[in-house]
Amino acid sequence: MTSLSSRDTALVDAAEPRVGFTVDGKPHTLRVPPTARLSEVLREGLGIEGVKVGCDAGDCGACTVILDGEAVCACLVPAARCDGVEIVTVEGLAEAGRPGRLQEAFWRRGAAQCGICTPGMLTSAEALLRRTASPTRADVEEALAGVLCRCTGYAKIVDAVLDCAADATTAPAVGAEVGAAVGARIDRLDGRAKVMGTDAFGADAWPEGTLLVRVVRSPHHHAAFALGDLDAWRRANPGVVAVLTASDIPGRNIHGVIPPLADQPVFAERVARFRGEAVAAIVGERAAIRALDLATFPVTWSALAAVLTPDDARRPDAPLVHETRAGNVLVRGLVRRGDAEAALSDADVVVEGAYTTGFVEHAYIEPEAGFARRVGDRIEVFACTQAPHMDRDDLAAIMALPPDAVRIIPSAVGGGFGSKLDLSLQPFVALAAWVTGRPAGVVYTRPESMASTTKRHPSAITVRIGAKADGTLHAMRFEGTFNTGAYASWGPTVANRVPVHASGPYLVPHYEARTAAIHTHTVPAGAFRGFGVPQAAVAQETLLDELADALGFDRLDFRIRNALTNGAPTVTGQVFAQGVGIRACFEALVPHWRERRAAARAFNATAGGPLRRGVGVAGMWYGCGNTSMSNPSTIRAGLGPDGRLVLHQGAVDIGQGSNTVVAQIFADALGFPVGQVALVGADTDLTPDAGKTSASRQTFVTGAAALRSGAALRETLLLRLNAGPDARLSLDGTMLRADDGRRDSASLDLAGLEPDAHGFVFAAEETFDPPTSPLDANGQGEPYAAFGFGAHLAEVEVDVELGRVRVLALICAHDVGRAVNPTLIEGQIEGGSAQGLGLALMEEYIPGRTENLHDYLIPTVGDMPRVTSILVEEADAHGPFGAKGIGEQVLIPTAPAILNAIRDATGVLIRDLPATPGKVHAALAAARAAGARP
Amino acid sequence: MKAAVGGYARARDLRHALELLSSADGMGRVLAGGQSLVAALNMRLTTGDILVDISALADCRGVADDGGTLRIGALTRHAEIGRDPLVRAHAPLLAEAVGHIAHAAIRNRGTIGGAIAHADPAAEFPACALALGAVMRVEGLDGPRDIPVEAFFRDTFETALAEGEILTAISVPKAAPGEVQVIQEVARRSGDYALAGLCLVRRAGRHRLALFSTGPKPMLATAAMAALDGGDTEAAISALKAEIDPPSDTQASGAYRRHLAGVLLRRAVARIEGGTR
Repeated sequence: MTSLSSRDTALVDAAEPRVGFTVDGKPHTLRVPPTARLSEVLREGLGIEGVKVGCDAGDCGACTVILDGEAVCACLVPAARCDGVEIVTVEGLAEAGRPGRLQEAFWRRGAAQCGICTPGMLTSAEALLRRTASPTRADVEEALAGVLCRCTGYAKIVDAVLDCAADATTAPAVGAEVGAAVGARIDRLDGRAKVMGTDAFGADAWPEGTLLVRVVRSPHHHAAFALGDLDAWRRANPGVVAVLTASDIPGRNIHGVIPPLADQPVFAERVARFRGEAVAAIVGERAAIRALDLATFPVTWSALAAVLTPDDARRPDAPLVHETRAGNVLVRGLVRRGDAEAALSDADVVVEGAYTTGFVEHAYIEPEAGFARRVGDRIEVFACTQAPHMDRDDLAAIMALPPDAVRIIPSAVGGGFGSKLDLSLQPFVALAAWVTGRPAGVVYTRPESMASTTKRHPSAITVRIGAKADGTLHAMRFEGTFNTGAYASWGPTVANRVPVHASGPYLVPHYEARTAAIHTHTVPAGAFRGFGVPQAAVAQETLLDELADALGFDRLDFRIRNALTNGAPTVTGQVFAQGVGIRACFEALVPHWRERRAAARAFNATAGGPLRRGVGVAGMWYGCGNTSMSNPSTIRAGLGPDGRLVLHQGAVDIGQGSNTVVAQIFADALGFPVGQVALVGADTDLTPDAGKTSASRQTFVTGAAALRSGAALRETLLLRLNAGPDARLSLDGTMLRADDGRRDSASLDLAGLEPDAHGFVFAAEETFDPPTSPLDANGQGEPYAAFGFGAHLAEVEVDVELGRVRVLALICAHDVGRAVNPTLIEGQIEGGSAQGLGLALMEEYIPGRTENLHDYLIPTVGDMPRVTSILVEEADAHGPFGAKGIGEQVLIPTAPAILNAIRDATGVLIRDLPATPGKVHAALAAARAAGARP
Repeated sequence: MKAAVGGYARARDLRHALELLSSADGMGRVLAGGQSLVAALNMRLTTGDILVDISALADCRGVADDGGTLRIGALTRHAEIGRDPLVRAHAPLLAEAVGHIAHAAIRNRGTIGGAIAHADPAAEFPACALALGAVMRVEGLDGPRDIPVEAFFRDTFETALAEGEILTAISVPKAAPGEVQVIQEVARRSGDYALAGLCLVRRAGRHRLALFSTGPKPMLATAAMAALDGGDTEAAISALKAEIDPPSDTQASGAYRRHLAGVLLRRAVARIEGGTR
């Protein structure tokens, strides 16, 4: 650099520094934009997409790489200062193209679920192991403390790293004999790419020349707006190819997951109804689009009066969010059985309480991302999603195309938990690619993802529960108001599911539950693991503790005594002859409950100081599949003339493991080794509709379809080979054999056969739709073919001076019907309970204020206790091999168990979530002022 | 690129850095470890600035024994401070504080000078410097000057650094025989910014108490210090609560922060008196 005569000289000199560094052993020299982040340069300059980006703020750790031996957030390192450094990414951990030791351990342990945090976890762990060959558990937790994972609850990640200590070993892979895949802890079939960092998420593997899209969003809760001269603005900004608004949409400017109530525009027209709502999209060359200052975009805003809470929205003079929805009511729900009000008056003891919860953000580590391309008169969208066929149909209507002209190819999904059921970026990229004729992609920023996509519904719940002196639950009244935000999304589902579930898994003869989903000018609330049931369970399960105490019963015993059983009617009058496993879940907790309560009492009696320990339990039930609605899954499978056994698996695996579980079920039904199954999909062009990944339905519903497909294919093969039903099928190259042990085996060369349209010489396609019946005007009927059940025990330690709560242990018993893959189920339990812990103690999204991952807190490895999973197998007659859903069940009882444990420790019950230290302290102070002894 | 700043220049040495800053017409921002500044770029708080990268200034990195004081180069990283034997022996407060700062990857890159010059009221190092009675060595084109820490922090993200100056070192007096230094904080989640925190130093029977995350800048609680010098912990707690005025935000109310400060002081006193907390 020469002397500096002016500021301009300095800038010109510094404009494009040339840097040379080594990445994964390979030297690179390149010019980098002066302020480019190392993460951007690695991904876009060098194509190392194993480096993931989750926040660009050092909050999530997904981009962690090893720089000169130390773990660093690549998003916080200017690439310009990396001259001469040595960098190791996840891709450098492989050994000769195969997973390295740490990667192998992650795979074996099930430490990678969705896989988006896996590269950052691996590099952080690798940096530790290079420094400390035999780290302690505390060392590992310290090293991983800055890398957020939303799927696993961290337990299996920590275990995997400890497996790689100098004196430890990684367990060998579990093999599965023919017919024994179900129940085996096999490695996830899609795990290799996740641990290698090669899985393609929405921001990965874009075609050369893909245009970038940025979305212009409302800065106001509620505002009218006028667009200015868009053409002039586009011309003034070189590199901008197109500006898209509502007028560019060929079809209808509306989408929604529940078609009769669809109400959300792709682009707002004239009025924006929440902060973060899209009004326009800008498409152009990547560098130009990135450099744009969106503040110059020609739009004039006029803020309008906004209602932000249901209380405000229901005032008579409140502005209507939608003109057609009087009182801002989207929908109401009701379940009524017996006479709750009368029964409450003849109960011996009645308890009641009012509860509130806030918005909860899904906080998957992958912000929404994907690209679209136009192929002739078709549009293809590669993006994160939980519901490819729903996306296809909604997008077709927006694009004015027939559904078969839209192809949805789900990317690897870096966490979903419900929010990726709704369309988000798909219309923007589809429209951009359609209009420009070039591939177009978008990657939401973290604040954009948080501001614009669905949340868990804030709730205001009042409950009264009455019991008889003999400890029998008698009556319950429940009233829940849910803030559903500006658009319908899954609000109706929440309003309908909650009344069905708000009794908890108990026999309640007199019951009335009413719900309302109320519109406000806030981000839409939609689906989030449990669809409102977690909020309801907080109220119902904490009141059950108060009721047990008032009656003088042990809190767990009280639950056991009232637990639903086979043959007893639920609050919708549904009677299950089999499959009701809640009592077994509670009973599995009994020894732990006794032991831990005694230990907590002993601690409190002797410890002195400000720490108090307590133990809480809570139960749950959750119906698998849609509520009283058809929700079929179809699975196709076949044998090719080349001897390939192919499973068209359309149940999107968002990390929970459907790729593996569905294949395990299919393989056992067919009678082939699961290792021989090749997966295709999900892809709306290739896989039949296996429904959405939600409602804990994929193992239960799609698994049942896979079971039927496997059995049907088996029957076809046996028939063709003239073999008996017990014959053992095998494939040797293209030779198919059946051996029933009684005579010479029959065989058939597949190579000579004529394939069908799908390329199969033998195929089966089967559908399963769980049997349900509609709910009547009082909510009576058979909403689900099966429920999953569970109960959690939480042990906490409360610092009564600070109000800070530490969860010491979670013990989680779940009736899963049949544990198809115990490792994956444990992963669901550990990860779901981490989300439950976050709901209980720390998570609250406040529009405009907590739109990043340092103001919005999710649990880190340091916040999670040891989680012990107890798997109860009360087989369900409809479930494949008896299996039920598990995905949502795991989150529901955690928060009430923690709140009950805090009450056990201190005597105070927090009814306004999250139970932040400030709230806990205030409650303790109020109790002290009232003369209690916390 | 998203980090849409006006430009970037890497300084060869201190003189060069000062010249770059001078030529930036007030738009210069000193880039040290980058852990706060680069994160902020994403939120476009600083659009239009020119980044002057001082990371190559080798003289500004490392810890030196200057007789009665430790001289800590501004570019010394958090992790280095945490494991530095001189710091552990003579300014253990700083080493202990590192355990509270964010997480491993941030500590591997963040620098003490960056943290102090950034003057985040919730950060640990500014309060540590205040409790220790540090002196800030600041360089400008006109030469160096020393700023006592009491005069250094002005307001939220505001210091006594003048336009064009660079913080190059922090000098802290070595701990006297028998001196005790402790840091106490409460965070909502492990590794997060403190809801409230304090540093307490007892040197030859006199106390210095610096608070963080309880106001717009780290502050010495002088009334509480006087009460502690007089041996009255309860009076110190009362005095402390009276002399701070913490803000309310999404994380905690001001009243709760005030309460926390009192609890933390009691615990800090118990620690320096050899108690368990």
